[in-house]
Amino acid sequence: MGRHSAAPPLELGTYEVVEASFGPSTSWKAGNLVVDLESLRGSAAKEPAVEAVEVHLVRPGDPVRVANVLDAVVPHVKADDPEATFPGVLGRLAPAGRGRSNRLGGVTVLSVCDLRAAGLVEEDEVWETFVDMAGPGADRSGFGSTANVVLTFTPRSDAPAADVDLAVRKATLRVARELAATTIGATPDRQETFRPIGARQGGEDLPAIAAILQVGSEGPFLDTFLYGLRMEGLVPTALDPREVLDGALTNGAFEWAGSRNPTALYQRNALIRELYEADGKRLRFAGLVVALGYLNTAFEKQRSAMLSARLAQLLGADGVVCTTFETGNSHTDTMLTVRACEQLGIRTTAILTETNGGLTDHVPEADCIVSVGNEDELVAGWSPDHVIGASAARAGEPVPTWAYLGATCQMGDLRWTAVPA
Amino acid sequence: MDGGSGMKVVHYLNQFFAGLGGEEAAGHEPVRIEGAVGPGRGLAAAGLPVDVTLACGDDHFGEHEAEALARLLNWLEEEEPDVLVCGPAFGSGRHGYACGSLAREAGRRGVPVVSAMTPDNPGVLAAEGAAYIVPTGSNVTEMRTILPVVAALAGRLARGEPVGPSEEEGYLPRGLRKNVLADVTGAARAVDLLLAKLAGDTRTEVAPSGDRVPPPSAVVDLSRATVALVSEAGCVPQGNPDRLPSRHSNMWLRYPLGGVSSLGADAYESVHGGFDTAAANDDPNRLVPLDAVRELEAEGRIGKLHDVFYTTTGVDTPVAAAAKFGQEIAAELHEANVQAVILTGT
Amino acid sequence: MGIPTVFVTALPTIAQMVGANRILRGVSITHPTGDPSLAVGDEHAFRRRIVERALEMLATDVEPTTVWEVSE
Repeated sequence: MGRHSAAPPLELGTYEVVEASFGPSTSWKAGNLVVDLESLRGSAAKEPAVEAVEVHLVRPGDPVRVANVLDAVVPHVKADDPEATFPGVLGRLAPAGRGRSNRLGGVTVLSVCDLRAAGLVEEDEVWETFVDMAGPGADRSGFGSTANVVLTFTPRSDAPAADVDLAVRKATLRVARELAATTIGATPDRQETFRPIGARQGGEDLPAIAAILQVGSEGPFLDTFLYGLRMEGLVPTALDPREVLDGALTNGAFEWAGSRNPTALYQRNALIRELYEADGKRLRFAGLVVALGYLNTAFEKQRSAMLSARLAQLLGADGVVCTTFETGNSHTDTMLTVRACEQLGIRTTAILTETNGGLTDHVPEADCIVSVGNEDELVAGWSPDHVIGASAARAGEPVPTWAYLGATCQMGDLRWTAVPA
Repeated sequence: MDGGSGMKVVHYLNQFFAGLGGEEAAGHEPVRIEGAVGPGRGLAAAGLPVDVTLACGDDHFGEHEAEALARLLNWLEEEEPDVLVCGPAFGSGRHGYACGSLAREAGRRGVPVVSAMTPDNPGVLAAEGAAYIVPTGSNVTEMRTILPVVAALAGRLARGEPVGPSEEEGYLPRGLRKNVLADVTGAARAVDLLLAKLAGDTRTEVAPSGDRVPPPSAVVDLSRATVALVSEAGCVPQGNPDRLPSRHSNMWLRYPLGGVSSLGADAYESVHGGFDTAAANDDPNRLVPLDAVRELEAEGRIGKLHDVFYTTTGVDTPVAAAAKFGQEIAAELHEANVQAVILTGT
Repeated sequence: MGIPTVFVTALPTIAQMVGANRILRGVSITHPTGDPSLAVGDEHAFRRRIVERALEMLATDVEPTTVWEVSE
């Protein structure tokens, strides 16, 4: 496939945070992150479509429920070119997935906005999104175990939805960059090198495995962004998996808390890491395809499934892992993709969430499915001392799993699954 | 105070079995009755004395589900029963649905529940695995043989005795799945399973459950057949006069088609909350193809179009509710000698 | 004794999964029996063709969970 082995590696440094606290200026040193809340607030409030921002710092174990969470972002900076961090949306356009990038471990930035109260979306329970820092729901979201810098946005009342959407995303990414930028020049706790896939010698006898990553892009507050533009209309596209680790893909979809893909899970990406880890040992990592789910017509769904399968074939895949985005008819896109791959002789495993009614869709070819859990399972009620981001947030009532951010993310980042009771 | 057996038993029945009346009492509000009523006496005779009976009209439950459940659950909470018995409902979809829904909610509050109904009763889905459901036929004459089975199972649950898996004990599989933390991430498991599959060992963590109906025989002579239109696209007369919900529907509706040859944009609309209804509202025939059916009817390609169409909204609607609607609509179509149906979905 | 029913839907795989037996692939989630991109006359003819196929399916014995296309 050419001289890709000459492409520079991605050097990802992780700087752990064991202690996060407030202070007069934002800094990271030897595991201690100090956050200047006022400075971050000013940074986030810069956007014209934003009326006001509040900043909170919450830690695992705090009796706090964060509600109306939009996105979660791992603090991240391109250490050798900070202006190109999150290229296309926050940063200057530049290829992601190469050079030195730094990120904080143990800290996440959460954006919060009550879109319904602001009149930006329809009154609909499926926007509900919680992250619990303690209580029975703390281990559901995957963000109850990190210290979270929470940005609560009040949009300007006359700003159009698209402006608010962009403003909130940029401000959140800006804060994420600022937090990570404190580590530039310091020695990381962990240093990983991601070479271009295929650069590793040997392993020709190993099965070639690709991933087909499903995303959704249906409009304001329902979009996924690739280098800053929404992905609606995009045909299945091959990406360097390192681009996804390095901020090329950002989330702008805020419905269906449990099964959407927060930006942080694109960044942390258990699937890409798993494939990299096994590359040359158990498999050859053949590549990554991103494809849309939620296509509206039968024709578009079949066509996209066919194009995804053909692209996987062009990448030389013997097998693919198919991920799913959210719930409902996107599961049909997954099933059609499974079928299209199997018809080309490419074996598949799909990652799906279950409901109380079982699987949402199925084809006979889908004989190998990973379940990330039952999204309808109720988590015991909890009465937090504080709620950020909403006035009423089901305090004391049982909460369905689907209301916890990323709880049943179908890229497989968490360890949740379902078994017969 | 319990019935002397040392356990507290509550029994739920519909209006008919509780002796409140027949169809004319289907709109009866929830009531609480001391002691056993109707089949409850059979439970007592089989060794499960009933302390309190709760009853509700099947139609009342269907139309006011949230309120009816609230009242029933209130009484249930006051009693703090060791077990709740619902039905038997046999083949009655409405009764079964109420039994299953109450079972589900009681289960959430930690009350063990036993019920009995046909395996395809929508109540089975409604229960969402909360109840131990003894399978029955649709004939109510089975009551005498079913009650001792129900009583025995309920007694064991009330005494906290362990109950084995469905294959051994004879109740319907509950299909319950609970969330647990695996040793490794879903991504790791996906890679493992895929490599195993490529090596010839195919395994899955979840599979579909299916209830299958064999395909009915084809219509012999369409030119003499009555064909009906049914839809889940939320198609209603302009203004939605009967307030069909946009999501999570608890109802289906029927509207007359006499003299109507096309669903005009000024007269009909879609209230479905699960898709963009712009194209449909410009021409509702895009959801329910009335104009084309009328044309073909005029040409004699079908005998006639049934004089009403059936409509509901199929988004966020629980499977159990949808199954109930299907059974109820099918019963009307059957009654009206409809021979074929065109069902449109979005 | 069931009533033969043809289910017109853009999501035939879901229909197959829940056990619908006669399934006709519809145009789109938002307009299963129409196509706003066609001129009015053409759309009407197209809808007629959809209904004709549906009727054809009702008059045909099928294996379980069979999917037909409108144009074949």
